[in-house]
Amino acid sequence: MIELYAITDDPTPPDPPLRAVESNGLTALCAPTGRREVTPDALWRHEEVVEALMESRDLLPVRFGTIVSDERAAARAVEQRKEELAASLERVRGAVELAVRAQRRDPEGDAPPESESGRKYMIAKARRLAAARPVHEPLAALARDSALQRGPELLHAAYLVDRDAVERFVSLVRRLQREHPELDILCTGPWPPYSFAEAGGRS
Amino acid sequence: MTTTIAEQEVALVDLVDRLLGGGVVIAGDITLSVADVDLVYVGLRALVSSVATAEEKNALPRMGSAL
Repeated sequence: MIELYAITDDPTPPDPPLRAVESNGLTALCAPTGRREVTPDALWRHEEVVEALMESRDLLPVRFGTIVSDERAAARAVEQRKEELAASLERVRGAVELAVRAQRRDPEGDAPPESESGRKYMIAKARRLAAARPVHEPLAALARDSALQRGPELLHAAYLVDRDAVERFVSLVRRLQREHPELDILCTGPWPPYSFAEAGGRS
Repeated sequence: MTTTIAEQEVALVDLVDRLLGGGVVIAGDITLSVADVDLVYVGLRALVSSVATAEEKNALPRMGSAL
């Protein structure tokens, strides 16, 4: 069995044990695998592989745990979605993903309890969105694309950022933190473009 | 650059979000059972909520452990 790590159109061969399975201009980067448990260590090891690949090529990360029987099956799977994959690759070319969360230091007023009435819930949600805007909008303006994600935080978002704009993005996060001492703003990355790999966002 | 425990936890939560909820979905045998994934999520969601309180109040945002 082999595990898929990423899809690319870069012809550079990967270092063993990774292998390149080419199919009509697209390449699946994969490696032999056995079944294993989902542990934080296993997730980090997988991530390290994808990040090392990302250093020298544009790629679409494949969802963790995607395992096929052999290389032919890998080629077939890529072939089935080749137009969408090629379009997605074009969309993320030259960019990486940064994750940003913003929470109030004093969490009172955040994350309304589920039991509240629908109306109260909607009002609270609208307030949270309004509070997140001064952080989200400048970041989104610098990014190529952004995706708001569900979560208990005021802001939980992914930004697709040009590789050469990452430092500017991080500086902007730091500036926004200084301008908003009432918030905790946490930024991680650069990540492979996991949140932008599918045209419709996450499934 | 030092990272606090809280920052490592945030990076792990972001990692799980991405690896299990993002990425290209390709036809294959996804060997993870729903129970596995739920287990990871439940454990990590608990961390997320603890991060806000654990985070040092004067900590500046910094890059996570990725790259």
